[in-house]
Amino acid sequence: MSNKRKSVLQIEPYKRRIIPDQEYSDKTWKILEHAIHQIYNHNAIGLNFEELYRNAYNMVLYKFGQKLYSGLVSTVTSHLKEMAISVEIAEEGSFLEELIRKWNDHSKSLQMIRDIMRYMEMTYIPSNKKMPIYELGLKLWTENVIYSNQIRTRLSNTLLKLLSRERAGEEVNSELIKNITKMLMDLGHSVYGQVFETPLLQASSEFYRAESQKLIERCNCGDYLKNVERLINEETDRVNHYLDHESKREITNVLVKEMIENHMLRLIHMENSGLVNMLCDDKYEGLSRMYNLFGRVTDGHLKIREVMSSHIRESGKELVTDLERLKDPVEFVQRLLDERDKYGKIVNLAFNNDKLFQIALNSSFKLFINLNPCSPEYISLFVDDKLRNGLKGVSEDDVEITLDKVMTLFQYLQEKDMFEKYYKQHLAKRLLSGKTVSDDAEKSLIVKLKTECGYQFTSSLEVMLRDMKTSLDTMQGLYASHSELVDGPTLNVMVQTTGFWPTQSSVTCNLPAEISALCEKFRSYYLGNHTGRRLSWLTNMGMAELKATFGEGQRHELIVSTFQMCVLMLFNNADMLTYREIELATEIPTLDLKRCLQSLALVKGRNVLRKEPMSKDVNENDEFFVNDNFSSKSYMVKIGTVAQKKSEPETLETWQRVELDRKLQIDASIVRIMKSRKKIYHHNLIAEVTKQLQSRFLANPTDVKKRIESLIERDILERDDSDREQYRYVA
Amino acid sequence: MKKEDTVKLISSDGFEFIVDKEAAMVSQTIRNMLTSPGSFAERQHGEVTFPEISTTILEKICQYFYWHLEFA
Repeated sequence: MSNKRKSVLQIEPYKRRIIPDQEYSDKTWKILEHAIHQIYNHNAIGLNFEELYRNAYNMVLYKFGQKLYSGLVSTVTSHLKEMAISVEIAEEGSFLEELIRKWNDHSKSLQMIRDIMRYMEMTYIPSNKKMPIYELGLKLWTENVIYSNQIRTRLSNTLLKLLSRERAGEEVNSELIKNITKMLMDLGHSVYGQVFETPLLQASSEFYRAESQKLIERCNCGDYLKNVERLINEETDRVNHYLDHESKREITNVLVKEMIENHMLRLIHMENSGLVNMLCDDKYEGLSRMYNLFGRVTDGHLKIREVMSSHIRESGKELVTDLERLKDPVEFVQRLLDERDKYGKIVNLAFNNDKLFQIALNSSFKLFINLNPCSPEYISLFVDDKLRNGLKGVSEDDVEITLDKVMTLFQYLQEKDMFEKYYKQHLAKRLLSGKTVSDDAEKSLIVKLKTECGYQFTSSLEVMLRDMKTSLDTMQGLYASHSELVDGPTLNVMVQTTGFWPTQSSVTCNLPAEISALCEKFRSYYLGNHTGRRLSWLTNMGMAELKATFGEGQRHELIVSTFQMCVLMLFNNADMLTYREIELATEIPTLDLKRCLQSLALVKGRNVLRKEPMSKDVNENDEFFVNDNFSSKSYMVKIGTVAQKKSEPETLETWQRVELDRKLQIDASIVRIMKSRKKIYHHNLIAEVTKQLQSRFLANPTDVKKRIESLIERDILERDDSDREQYRYVA
Repeated sequence: MKKEDTVKLISSDGFEFIVDKEAAMVSQTIRNMLTSPGSFAERQHGEVTFPEISTTILEKICQYFYWHLEFA
């Protein structure tokens, strides 16, 4: 206060009614302590929030925060100790309920205390780095109640007991369990882990180990898997109900490990119901279950793949080496297709179209198909059969499907050029005899082959088809321009471009007069249209339709080969002819003539000629007459040539042709590579060549070496002077 | 004004200010008081006493509540 008598305005400080000293703080604290007691004793009704808040505020303001905080801690602790005792003395059945009730009380009280002491929480605690009230409350609870000696173990055991009862199928109070676990989770992950999770995992793994032992003794593979699935679902439900998500993962791992991983091999190899049996019996459900369950285990899928691959390979090998089956190529390939379908379906339906499984399937098939060297030929025969008559009346989509399936088999072949050779031969026969069921089907198959193997493969096939069409056009042109020919015998000429059609030796014979005149007309017409070309007649491949009248007036139409036609036409002018006369007149080579006469005279039901003497073979001095007594039920009679079944020499011939082709291919490939690389190491060259030729056939390194040697001889390659392992291209 | 929407704020001199609950809740302390899980007296009676706040101050506070609601 100023002493001078100046009229200075003084601003008096607030008249403090409160003197902050020890006595004041004790008094205030007493009030607060009393309030806390009330709160914990459920007597909080009627407490004056404002007053308590003000008191706590004042304590902190006057720097008694320390006292407040420690007082709080001790009061709460003492109450918690009381609570712990009451929980301990609870009976068996109501232990958990009591615990939960006390926990709820404590939580509520804690909230109220926190609200009251908000000022302290906002200012004193952060600046002094103390634990916030809520956390403090949890910690105290944990220390005093949960970790108190009696309660802790009892809690774990009770929980586990409840869970095991539920696993055994009893009804338990899942609400209660959920609340307990929630409390534990609120208390912190380590508490949860120690008190609950770790013992739970332990108990679970023991339980499931025992379960799995029991089940595996009793059930077969399929049932066992069903049970495992059921257990997994139950456990996941249970976990969703009242466990933490982290636990969910742990628990399923435990389950999976005990029930599946430990028994995986045993399940796969189980007699009468294991993986192999399921594959054979098309048990899609069981297989997909196994796939899903084993997927949870590392290497599970690997094991399944291994067993499946080896099984496919085994059964495939059996199929391919079964001599009985091999007698009928069409059957054989059909079986292969069926097997492929079956396993394809299995991978699709049961294994979820898993890429790795597809790969395993394909490689196994590739392996055993190539074990049989006749596979390319048989596949070609199968296609031949289908295109001749198997696909008659089948819808376009089905045709596509069948051809696609054949293509998958084709992709497995290593020696695709063998297939090409055989296919060309069969195609030629089909086209020439007009036996193909549908041009569209042929074309679509060629397109598929082109996409698979490239243009080179199918170029000749396409030319063959084109030739057919061109010939048709030519014939139409011929008849259009020479209208006088319409009355005479109808001629149908198929012009083959040399080199694209499978080579047959061209055999000529003397055609009857009418026919040869017609042929000449055709020749002049054709050469008039296309200059600079040469035509040679392949009479050994032709066919003819003859109208015949026999002695008793029977009229028949005979379908015969060109040679047979020549022979029969001779009988227009003579009643009897000897072998020699026929030979002279027709100039047909001996072997063919003999076969021709055999088919005309000696085949029952088709003997339009009579032979004297009636011996089995045709000799030089035999005489032939027209068989006036010939009879047949149908008007049209087909007289085939006595079949020359694909004999050994022919197979050998085809194989040799393929070999030759391969040599040329290897040469071409080597030269291509050398031109671009100029210099290359020996082993690199072999690797490159094999890679290039992979799509056609598997190149043998010794063969490649031989071709390299021959190229060196021809001065196209040379060994590098400095490094004997390298080759150089000679420009 | 419905009874349920209001609280009574009483100053040290005994003046009673009846304000909307929404206005009073601008103050965090009053909000905690009224929404606390415990059954404190304030909540039950719907009145809060401030023995250390004078009437003039409390009046200003109420004006602040409404200003806050409207402009802040």
